[in-house]
Amino acid sequence: MHWRTRQKAAKIILGGITFFFLIFQWFPLFTMGVLSFTGPDDGTTFPMRSLSLHWYREFLRDSFVDDFKPPMYRSLVLAVICSVTTAGLALAAAQAMRSRFAGSDLFFYLILLGIMAPGILVGLGMAVVARVLGIPLAWYSTTLAVHLVWTLPFGLLLLLAAFNRFDRELEEAALTLGANRWSAFWRITFPLVLPGVIGAALFGFTLSYDEFARSLFATGSEQTLPLIIFAQFDRQLQPTLYAIGTTTTVISLGMVGLFALLFRIVRRRAQTTSPGVN
Amino acid sequence: MTTTPEQNQYDLELKGITKHFGSFMAVGNLSLSVERGQFVCLLGPSGCGKTTTLRIIAGLEEPEKGEVWIDGRRVDDDPPWVRDFAMMFQDFALFPHMTIRKQVAFGLEMLKRPKEEIRRRVDETLATFEIGALADRKPDTLSGGQQQRVALARALITQPRLLLLDEPIGSLDFSLREAVMLELKDVQRRLGISFIWVTHDQNEAFSLGDLVVVMNHARIEQVGPPEAIAERPRTRFVAEFIQGNNVFEGTVESVENGNARIGTPSGSFDVPVEDAPLLAPGAVVTFSVRADILSTRPQAEHVNRLEATCNAVEYLGAIRRYDLQLEDGRSLKYEQFRSAAARIKEGERVSIGWRVEDGVLHASPSAPSDEHRA
Amino acid sequence: MPPHQHHRMSTVRERASVSYLLALPATLWMIGGLIVPILFIVWVSFWTTREFALDNPLSLTHYIKLFDKPVYLKLVGHTVLQTMVLMGITLVLGYCMAYFIVGKVQRDGRKYLLIFLLIIPFWTSALIRTIAWIPFLGVNGVINQSLIFLGLIDEPIGIFLYSRTGITLAQVSFYTLMATGPVVYVMRNIPPSVLQAAQCLKASPFHVFWRITVPLTLPGILIGQLLVFLNVMADFATAAAIGGNKFAYLGNLVLLLYDSGQLPFASVIAVVMMVCMLAGVAMMLKVVDIRRLGAL
Repeated sequence: MHWRTRQKAAKIILGGITFFFLIFQWFPLFTMGVLSFTGPDDGTTFPMRSLSLHWYREFLRDSFVDDFKPPMYRSLVLAVICSVTTAGLALAAAQAMRSRFAGSDLFFYLILLGIMAPGILVGLGMAVVARVLGIPLAWYSTTLAVHLVWTLPFGLLLLLAAFNRFDRELEEAALTLGANRWSAFWRITFPLVLPGVIGAALFGFTLSYDEFARSLFATGSEQTLPLIIFAQFDRQLQPTLYAIGTTTTVISLGMVGLFALLFRIVRRRAQTTSPGVN
Repeated sequence: MTTTPEQNQYDLELKGITKHFGSFMAVGNLSLSVERGQFVCLLGPSGCGKTTTLRIIAGLEEPEKGEVWIDGRRVDDDPPWVRDFAMMFQDFALFPHMTIRKQVAFGLEMLKRPKEEIRRRVDETLATFEIGALADRKPDTLSGGQQQRVALARALITQPRLLLLDEPIGSLDFSLREAVMLELKDVQRRLGISFIWVTHDQNEAFSLGDLVVVMNHARIEQVGPPEAIAERPRTRFVAEFIQGNNVFEGTVESVENGNARIGTPSGSFDVPVEDAPLLAPGAVVTFSVRADILSTRPQAEHVNRLEATCNAVEYLGAIRRYDLQLEDGRSLKYEQFRSAAARIKEGERVSIGWRVEDGVLHASPSAPSDEHRA
Repeated sequence: MPPHQHHRMSTVRERASVSYLLALPATLWMIGGLIVPILFIVWVSFWTTREFALDNPLSLTHYIKLFDKPVYLKLVGHTVLQTMVLMGITLVLGYCMAYFIVGKVQRDGRKYLLIFLLIIPFWTSALIRTIAWIPFLGVNGVINQSLIFLGLIDEPIGIFLYSRTGITLAQVSFYTLMATGPVVYVMRNIPPSVLQAAQCLKASPFHVFWRITVPLTLPGILIGQLLVFLNVMADFATAAAIGGNKFAYLGNLVLLLYDSGQLPFASVIAVVMMVCMLAGVAMMLKVVDIRRLGAL
């Protein structure tokens, strides 16, 4: 075979695999979205005999709302707290790591352990700690603790990347111009790494909002949204779950979109106000 | 492929190469022949297509039109790994995960040479380039100069007919460049292979090249030995790109006895023409005069005359460069050896003159050099 | 960076004491939320009785239980096997995609689009994505219906839902991203000139791939495989939802024991899981230094 034909063939095969996988990955979500509009008499799979908003109405019925509204509220509040905390702690941790303090390697590994440690272990561990020490399990304390362990490493990695990219000379310039370290940090450094901070906040929000395995053990009787969905799913699979799933997926995607937009705005502003910095 | 003796006197031939990136023409109908063992410098400003030309020779870019012949063999349908050449990249492109020994052996391993031969030739090459002590180190522990030697050793171990070099000393410290240049020139002479050296630095091109190819906007402006480029710039672009030329633009007033009289805002001057009949009065032309050929003590032979005032003096090593202001406000460069007795002071008025044959008329009214010919 | 590097001005001083203050909150949180819980699991796994008492006598009682019935060890085997299968599939699939996106897609815009399409599901609920697989896998599910439509089968086959095939399909769709991401990241940092230099040294695409691309992306491959390994080992939600608890893994057993109040034995299973994981991590860290990823 001619070498160009061979290269083209390789490209087509690899592209086909990628394309097929993306469909494979996205299709269930789309199908769920479509099935959530199925008619009241239809089952949980195809064929769809009619289209309706029945299951969304079902989802908004009083009895349901009473079940789902508080968990949804808790999940959102938890996600916001986790988002802010992740961004803050990650920023402090990354700034600390820049000084290469003694033990900073160990510190880095300690935080990275949060990505490595599987949710079920962390969740179970937190439950054990709480039982043994007699601490009540609650979404705003124990659950938050294990969520942050999961989101903080992502935040730190993003911020280290952001610090790596920016030019130390700007900081030096600010300091030689008489700014003290504190104001140089907030006026020069922080705006430059703001995209990283926003990225950390995004991970903090979405990973916490969708977290299931860690919450399962560490949350008490006041459940978060994924937990109540799982409980409902365990009882019976109804198209209502598709409606709920579609709604929360749209919320997640909306958050991603919002953060992406914020990211672009901040980046563009950083680029226009300080030329030469990328 | 057929190989005829006639073709084989060239290490490289390019015939009518054209390459676009989108609507931007990177190389336009470019032809070039490189004889055996020539040191060729592709010289031009960034974006002129010199690097693209090099990459087309290597097969890393595919031209839309034209032929590439290496050592008498047509290769434009061959991928890079089949063509007979070696290449040095500007960033040296060393393999980060390989020791220097592995790195240097790579080319021979790809040619499936026997293990014993590979070991022997790697040892020889490491010794030749004086990098034997680095054999077991990884590239990121090497200095720029050491990396450059490794890259050269890695490229030359396969004994190619042709070495392509993309700004090979551009990333080295200034203090190193001179020595490396001399060394590379020596290597080229010793091996008798052809070098195609891409650079934007005219000093590099003039001190190294047997042949200098000046490029601009995807085209070759002039090909020739360094002296020809320096003394007889063929186009306005070349005259302006090469330092030390005074360029005049004017209208042909008359043509007689092989000379054209050209009226410029600074006065009328006689310039020799080769194809006098082709030049009609009224045509707009440019010509140039070298700054070091002007005379500040015009004799009878210095037919072309100007009056000027000295504006500033620059000392550039062996020469002294004057910025003279003409009466119409334009500036004129004048250079003399530092040892020259007749110095001009700032503010002093001088008479400038040059002989008819010192002027160089440029080929067809060339477009202003900053225009985009996409 | 070497310590003798000359001092540079910055908002942080080298080894400044304020760094310890900045690092303190994160350190405390990681210790309290991760290290202490894991130590507690280890501790509780040695408890003799189920009762909660800080002075519970320590013994190997529950570890011995592990070897009592072959079913537990079989479960360990199943989990490890499933993890291996997933690592194999995601390695090949993930590498192919990374190679396509980084090496074959020319335009930056398309590159980013593909990367986004790949990672966005990471930010949606894994649980919802698991549930979304169910209408695909059932007897009347999308896969069966498509196969019938295509004429490949005459009547629905039950191999998808409540089966290892179904679990594997869903897990591949969740975890391939973890294998691809680090490879994409590392591959993007390989200068094109390095690959071209290899070509110019007469390396065919086959040799460029095996001698240059693969060694240079090895850290990414290992990090990706590590993530897949850890996550599949601990996955229980996929098996619970799609496997219908028929095909349980170690994670499901932990959940089952926890729900039935057998905390020490649940901890033993968790410790077994951890030991498997640590062994795997240690093996991979031997080959690659994670910190070098940032330097590449």
